[in-house]
Amino acid sequence: MNELALKELLYKMADDQLILGHRNSEWTGMGPLLEEDIAFSSMAQDKVGQSLALYTLLHQLGENEPDTVAFTRNANQFHNCVFVELPNQEYDFSLIRHFLFDTAEALRFDMLTHSSYEPLAQLATKIRGELRYHTLHANTWIKQLGSATPESIDRLQKSLEKAMPYALGIFEISPYETELISERIFEGEEKLMEKWMTKVESIISQTSLQLPDWKLVQPVMGGRFGKHSEHLQPLLDEMSEVFKIDPTAEW
Amino acid sequence: MASLDPRVNRLPTVTESVSPKAPLDQFGTFEVFVQPKEGKSFQHEGIVHAPNLEMAYVLAKEAFTRRFTCVSLYVVDTRNVYVSPMTEGEKNSYDFIEDNPEAAGVKESFEIYHLAKRGKQHIHVGTVTASSPQEAMVSAKAKFNTGKVVYNVWIIPTDAIRFTTEEEKELWITLPEKKFRDASDYKGGDKLKDFLEKVK
Repeated sequence: MNELALKELLYKMADDQLILGHRNSEWTGMGPLLEEDIAFSSMAQDKVGQSLALYTLLHQLGENEPDTVAFTRNANQFHNCVFVELPNQEYDFSLIRHFLFDTAEALRFDMLTHSSYEPLAQLATKIRGELRYHTLHANTWIKQLGSATPESIDRLQKSLEKAMPYALGIFEISPYETELISERIFEGEEKLMEKWMTKVESIISQTSLQLPDWKLVQPVMGGRFGKHSEHLQPLLDEMSEVFKIDPTAEW
Repeated sequence: MASLDPRVNRLPTVTESVSPKAPLDQFGTFEVFVQPKEGKSFQHEGIVHAPNLEMAYVLAKEAFTRRFTCVSLYVVDTRNVYVSPMTEGEKNSYDFIEDNPEAAGVKESFEIYHLAKRGKQHIHVGTVTASSPQEAMVSAKAKFNTGKVVYNVWIIPTDAIRFTTEEEKELWITLPEKKFRDASDYKGGDKLKDFLEKVK
């Protein structure tokens, strides 16, 4: 099995989960209502848990300990897409990002249940309940607010337009795309994006929101190759604060 | 906001015409029931605020089934829950239900719940068919009253409930390693003790 290709895939998935998990956890204690605060925080925790599971697979392939990998790299060593590192802004943006990203994430893991890399296929099967909840939660909110009041529709629409170029950056082509596909590790970003577009269209069509013309959206790429926005490093600094003071600290 | 003091803000505003009472600026409530294990009865677990039944289902899932084992969950608008008189001591709530003759009308299904211990949860005991919640209460008395004290009975029209589908049960298939979600796993007390020892 092509180990470089496999590691690249695992790193970008793990980094996506860790960074978005951290971002979404910034809403803890500040959510729009208590029940939603609990739900959103819990899903953020799921994401960090999933990143740990993926870093553990990488560790088994000879990479550093999960904590070392998570807390000691600089921004340019992270493979997450730029989308997940963007600041939260208002809740409408966080909800739209949650919807667009988690739809892709759930489809990706669903495809990976057939991966030729057995440990990854097993992990994908194990977490399908969590992913199912994340997409149920996202779809329900988008359908609710996407058809509720002129203000809610307008706010979601603006966030959707702002998010879309970054969302397409999720599917940035890997340098190992051919190997991943031919070795049946993963069916590839293009296939995933096709499925994602169909799914996104099917949910948005049940609301008063309008999708932009896919062809006119200019994707924001670079994240998978370590090219990030100015927002990632401050996030990493904050996330690794305790670890950097005392790497042996348990908390 | 008129004032930082909530008591001032709660004062009724001065009006000059007849107008409808303004609703509270908050969501309605929904009752949440969970099934802890396959084969076990559903039990009332708590309440969530939500704009509608489907949102209530989504929010209830994380609010009430995040840490403990659970195989299924359902929610219902609080306004669809009909309650019998609440009793205490040796008084059985069913004794306050009068046996009325069956009423005419379309029969529908109702779920029945008993409060067997004060301070505990209402637990599902079964289903009856009736043409109204009042008639369902009488049917429940005939079917489920064993003479053992029941402090309170709840009646819910089955059609009003948002159930978990067979397919949705996979919501509770998650990573088994969930200790990080348990406060006890962080051993806060031990850490504080160690720290205080060190400071000495």
